[in-house]
Formats: sequence, C-alpha cells, structure tokens
Amino acid sequence: MTLDRTLMPDFQAVKQINIPQLEIRTLSNGIPLYIINAGEQPVLKIELSFDAGAWYDTQNGISMFTAKMLCEGTSKRTSQEISEYFDQFGAFSENGHGLDRANLTVYSLSKHLHKVLPMVQEILNDATFPENEVENFKNIQLQTLRVNQEKSAFVAGQVLRKNIFGVNHPYGNYLTEEAIAEISRQHILDFYQQNWQGKTFRIFLSGKVSAQDIELVETFLGKEKFTKQSHNQSLTNSFFSEKSILIEKTKAMQSSIRLGKVMMRRTDPDYFKMLLLNEVFGGYFGSRLMKNIREEKGLTYGISSNVAPFAQAGYFIVGTDVKKANTQQTLDEIHKEITILQTKLVPADELQTVKNYMAGSFAGSLGTPFDIADRYKVVVGEKLSLDFYEQYIPKILEVTDIDILEAANKYLQIDSLTEVVVGGK
Amino acid sequence: MISYDHFVLDNGLKVYVHKDTSTPIAAVNICYNVGSRDETEDKTGFAHLFEHLMFGGSRNIPSYDTPLQKVGGENNAFTSPDITNYYITLPAVNLETAFWLESDRMMALSFDPQVLEVQQKVVIEEFKQRYLNQPYGDVWLKLRPLAYKNHPYRWATIGKEIAHIEDAKLDDVRDFFYKHYLPNNATMVVAGNVSTEQVKQLCKKWFEPIPAGKLTTRNLPQEVRQTEARFLETEAKVPLNALYKTWHTPARHAQDFNAVDLLSDVFGRSKSSRLYTKLVKEKPLFNTINAYVTASLDPGLFVVQGNLNQGVSLEEGEAAVNEVLADLLSNPIQEEELTKVKNQAESTLVFSEMELLNRAMNLAFAANAGNVEYANQESDKIQAVTTDAVAKQATTILRPENCSTMYYRSVN
Repeated sequence: MTLDRTLMPDFQAVKQINIPQLEIRTLSNGIPLYIINAGEQPVLKIELSFDAGAWYDTQNGISMFTAKMLCEGTSKRTSQEISEYFDQFGAFSENGHGLDRANLTVYSLSKHLHKVLPMVQEILNDATFPENEVENFKNIQLQTLRVNQEKSAFVAGQVLRKNIFGVNHPYGNYLTEEAIAEISRQHILDFYQQNWQGKTFRIFLSGKVSAQDIELVETFLGKEKFTKQSHNQSLTNSFFSEKSILIEKTKAMQSSIRLGKVMMRRTDPDYFKMLLLNEVFGGYFGSRLMKNIREEKGLTYGISSNVAPFAQAGYFIVGTDVKKANTQQTLDEIHKEITILQTKLVPADELQTVKNYMAGSFAGSLGTPFDIADRYKVVVGEKLSLDFYEQYIPKILEVTDIDILEAANKYLQIDSLTEVVVGGK
Repeated sequence: MISYDHFVLDNGLKVYVHKDTSTPIAAVNICYNVGSRDETEDKTGFAHLFEHLMFGGSRNIPSYDTPLQKVGGENNAFTSPDITNYYITLPAVNLETAFWLESDRMMALSFDPQVLEVQQKVVIEEFKQRYLNQPYGDVWLKLRPLAYKNHPYRWATIGKEIAHIEDAKLDDVRDFFYKHYLPNNATMVVAGNVSTEQVKQLCKKWFEPIPAGKLTTRNLPQEVRQTEARFLETEAKVPLNALYKTWHTPARHAQDFNAVDLLSDVFGRSKSSRLYTKLVKEKPLFNTINAYVTASLDPGLFVVQGNLNQGVSLEEGEAAVNEVLADLLSNPIQEEELTKVKNQAESTLVFSEMELLNRAMNLAFAANAGNVEYANQESDKIQAVTTDAVAKQATTILRPENCSTMYYRSVN
C-alpha cells in the first residue's frame, strides 16, 4: 500500500492539562511562601516580589533605579564583592522591575541555597546604594537610553504608551534624560525605605524543592518582622490620546508602525473573547496580519498584535517594521483586516485551528517549574482566582465566532486606535 | 546527563530518542548539516533564505504551518554559519503530524516561484530591520571580513549584501535542496513523552521511503595563521563609540576549546569578570564590556566588545583593554577564579537542560558535530580545565598579531 502523503494524520485537540498545584505556606513572620515543586534538575529559583514597580513611582524612574541597584552594595560589601559572591557558586541574581511589581531573584543550584540565602537577606535589609555606584549607574542608564533612542521600534513603543495612557500615568511614563539627571542617592534610599526595607513581600520558590530548602527559607527570611507598605498612589489616570503621530526619520530605511489603545485586565468578562480575537488578528504566525502582510505581500519580516494586561490596566498593540514607501499600504491593510473581523464571522475551521493552537502552545509554555511559578505570580499579584490557569483552556474553547465579531466591534473601532509611525510615510 | 536511544535509517537519517514522561509535550528537532559556510562567495545569504522557503509548502502539503497549528504545535528554525535547525513542539499525542510534515519537506519542496518571490522580500526586510536600520546592527557585516580572509565565515549568515538575496533563482533553490537537504545529511531528535518503538514505527512509515542522496565532501578554504595585527575603522550614526577585538581560537570540539571558553569567562562573562571590574567599575571607561567565544564548528573567534562612555576615546579604551589582557601575565589566574567560572559554566549547563527542547537541541548539535556524547561530556571537560591550561591558551591566543581590531566611531 502506498502512503498517501496528502492526508493529514489523525490528531486530538488538547482539552485540559494538569498544572502542578501551587503550595501555599506562611513563614513564622507572616510572609507568604508560594512553592512550585517540579522538574528533575537540582535547581531553584527564589523570587522575592514587592509591590514596588513603576505604578508606585514617586518620581519618574525611581522604582526602577531602586530595584536595579539593590545589589550595588551593603554596609559590609561592595557591589563587586556581591557579584563575586553569587558568581563563585554559579548563582545568578536578577533584579526585575515591571509596571506593577519589582523583585529580587536568584537562580541557584539547590546545593548552594544555604550559601545564597544569607546574601539575599543581607541585600534585603541593608542595601546602601553607594554614591559612586549611583553615579555610575546613572551614567550607564543615560547612555543606554541614548542607544535605545536610536531604535525606531523602541521609540514607537514608548510614544504609543505615552499617548494611550497619558504622560502622568505610570504605564505611560518613560525614562528621560532629565529624569535620570534628577535622581539622587537620597531619593533612592527614601524609596527603598518606603517600599523594600523591612516591608512585606511574597516569596516564590520553584524548581526541585525539598523540605530542607523550605527550612532554609524559613531560617533566613521567616524570622524578622516586616510591615506593610503604605502607598499613596496620587498620580491621576489622565487617559488622553493624540490619534496619529508621525516622527520623521529621514535617514531611516524602515518605518516602525505601532497601533494601540487601552485594553482590559485579566478579570474582565470579555478577556478571553479579546484573547481569541487578538490571536486570529495578529497573535500567532498563522494570523491574518501575518498571512496578508508578510506571507502574501512580503511587506515585512514580521507583524503581530498583542493584548498586554497588567494589574491596574492593560493595553492592546499592533506592531511591525516596513519599508518606508509601504507604510500607508500597511496601515490600510491593517484597517482592512479589522473591518473584516467586524463584519464577517471567523470561519469554523480557522477558529478551530486558533483554539487548538492556543491550547497546545499554552500546554507547551509550562515546560519548567519557573514557567509555572511565573503564571502563579500573576494569579497572586493580580488577585485572580487560583484556578485561573486551570480554567485557561476551557475558557478559550468556550469562545464563539459571534463573541469574536462582537469583541471586534466593541474593542477595535479603528478611530479608537492611536497610530504611531517612526520613520516616514 | 541526557539519556537517549539511537538508530539509523537505511537512507542514512540519524535518529535519537530522548524519553521524558513528565511532560505532555514532544519535541522534534531536525538539524541539517548545512549553513552559510557552505555558500559560494557570490551567492551569500542563501542558506538562510532557503530556511524561509522550507515553510512555503512541500510537494504534498501546500501549507506547513496551518496543519501544525491545528494540532496545537509550534515551530521555528534558525540558520547559523554551521547548521540549519528546524524544531517543533507539540502535544505528544499528535507526534505523527510532525513526522508527516517534516518528512514531506525533506522529500521535496513545492518549488513555487511565488513563494520565492515573497520570501526574498521578507528576507530583505529582515536584513534591513535587524542589520541596517539598527544601531550597531552592521557590526558583524564588517567584522567578519576583517577577522576571516579565506574561510566562508568571512560573510554573515544574513548575507554579504541585499543584492545576493535579490538575485536568487529558482534553479539555485532546487540545486541547494538536492545537494544539502538529504536524509543522510540530517540528524533528527525526538524528545518527550514518546517511546523508541513508536518513533521507530513512525520513522519507517514517513522517513524511510525518502531516498538517500549523494553527499559532497565539504572542502572549505581554511584560514592561514594570522601573522599581522589587523585594523579597521568605521563610523555610523550611533550615540557611543564601540570597540571590537577578535582573536582566532580552536574549533568548538577541539581539545583546547573549554580552556579558551573559560578564559573568555574570566575576562568578560559577568559583573565580577576582570574587564567589567576594571573598566566599568574601578575606572568607568566603558558603558558595557563583554568577552566571549563564537564556538563555531570550524576555528572560531575570541571576542572582546564594549561601548565606551561618552568622552572616552577609542584609543584610550583600547589601551585600557590591552592593559587588562596583559595583566594576566603578572596577575595569573588562581584556583579560586577558575573555580568561579567553572561553577558558572556548570550552572548554565544544568539550567539549560531544564527545557525539553534544549535537551533535544543539545543532542542534535552534538550528533551533527560528529559525536552525540559531546552533549554529556561537557561537564567533565569543563571540570578538567586547569589554571595552567587557561594560562597557556592566553599566551597562545591573545597575541597582538592574532588580533583584529575595529573602531566603530560615533558620528552625528
């Protein structure tokens, strides 16, 4: 019997997956410890997550400077000695900073956890932000910013967020040369004392976690008293929007195009409808934007859309880089694809593909304990229901073609989108 | 340790199976033993353009991506100077879809002129987006031909120039396919929730009917020993001056490679490295500085690169780098410093093996390079390096006449 290679083999759609359960403990001092125990490699990630992201900025850039400079010195050790300390055990420290939260994270082989934790404790309690390190870091930030300002994609993303959230909104604000110049050691110390030092946090411990590891965490982080931060979030949400912004770059070979608007958070009843709509539109390699603008017309190396939800608000963004001369054509095609989504139901076959793809890639995105812990971090940080990701695939499968058409009309009105072009038209 | 079973099909396709039942996912990685080093000088960028064409439909399957998405799978590919690597992750229950798709495009492409035309445009936009319209994006387009004079590593994988991509013809595509995309020129790794027996059955059904082809022996012009320091100065509209220095090193799997790799870590892997400590922290001449090796299958490069702080001249920056490198003689690597970089390397290795796909790739790359056991020997090879071996490599490699230096000057 000859093999008929035109026939696709039988397949099964992913309907449900088992995600390792989150183990929730409380240390003696009340600090919550969230544990994902999975994987075979003897490694651990310990993340101390604080409500100290951009949302809590008291001046532009201060939360980022504080988070990123935590490991730059304690009263006992210099910046170099701290790096040297982690490096000798092959551990990596990473100071994360996002719109909502900031964190101190260390990746380590399990066998070195007992060496790594005392240093984590020291940094947490006793970061000193030495004057020379502040100056050096300001200088590095300034120069990095100048490099980034030359990247049209970087500029386009910033300008879009500024215009959809407003410059006074922490999600719309971005680092400028003036803001960097303004930051002083005292400002950083103040922010550190208000938001980090002696303040409560959440611990996410993931990897191959043993009872002994949990004991170690209790020993080094479970004894001291921590108090809650008192935040006065006074910045107003001045949503405003200039609808169309063109930043001319005569020498640029391409235009960076970004379209976007403020969008819902994960708790919104329409969230999954929006996710499906986004996926069909520009969320994956087989999306309509990719098919039309890359695979049929060859106008770009890539085009995508994305729903980016955060704790306080979210946004929607479409982005691509194209030859300058093709800028208007690309914009027209993006609009055309939106109109189709608003007027024609997504065909059953396409919808099935999108759902299967989303379910499969979600299952595939949970490959390591660190990936799983990151998902739960969102659940805990945004106070979602603990089964949010258990329910993720069933919720995707529930969305109908009519839901998508309605969402396209409700959320993607073309005149509600802000357009940014860096390059030329 | 990455465990595996191994068998070879009659047509020469090498297959490795790595079982991991803790995941509902399977990974399929196919590494073709062809990269931009196999191109001719007047048709550069072709291996990478070809990678794009592999997604443009095969003889019996008009669309590669859609059926894979339909079964919940994801895929991508990349081209390097040495290899072209394709990979899929999908629910393990749908493993056969991957075999159906990959075997059909290994058998024959659609060779559709429309696909070629569109992908030429896409790759040209990629060329602009990543290499030309990006600060410092063209560095390696300039640095490669300085460091390499004979070997095809002297051009970048994206290609020497856009014209080469514009000029590609369908006949070139066909020739390239039947020369390189042969079962006996490929290594397949299937990993995840699969059994060796199942993989054997699927291989027999889908891959065994593909005929073997005639392999041409690779006979690339090799570099001759560099005997004179080289220098290039270039300028671009970037905010900061940047300095690049390269030295020729042994190949990825040569005897001395790990000592050289650790030497580069000592100088520029992390914030406690010598270059960072001295030139970013103690005396802030540089904004960033790194040292690393290119780890290519033919002899590669030891690279030091850094962006200088505003107001610091390239000459001053280079003198300072040379001083830190030379200081190794009076200030040799001690056991403690070596242990540190070994621990970093060991830790990176363990972390990299967390991902199923990485384990599949590690096996595929090792097998493609000639010995699948390379994947499991790395840890011992790192541990076996001595301070003497690192010191010896420093003197052998970091000689001024083995060095190419590029000043990348910032202009407004």
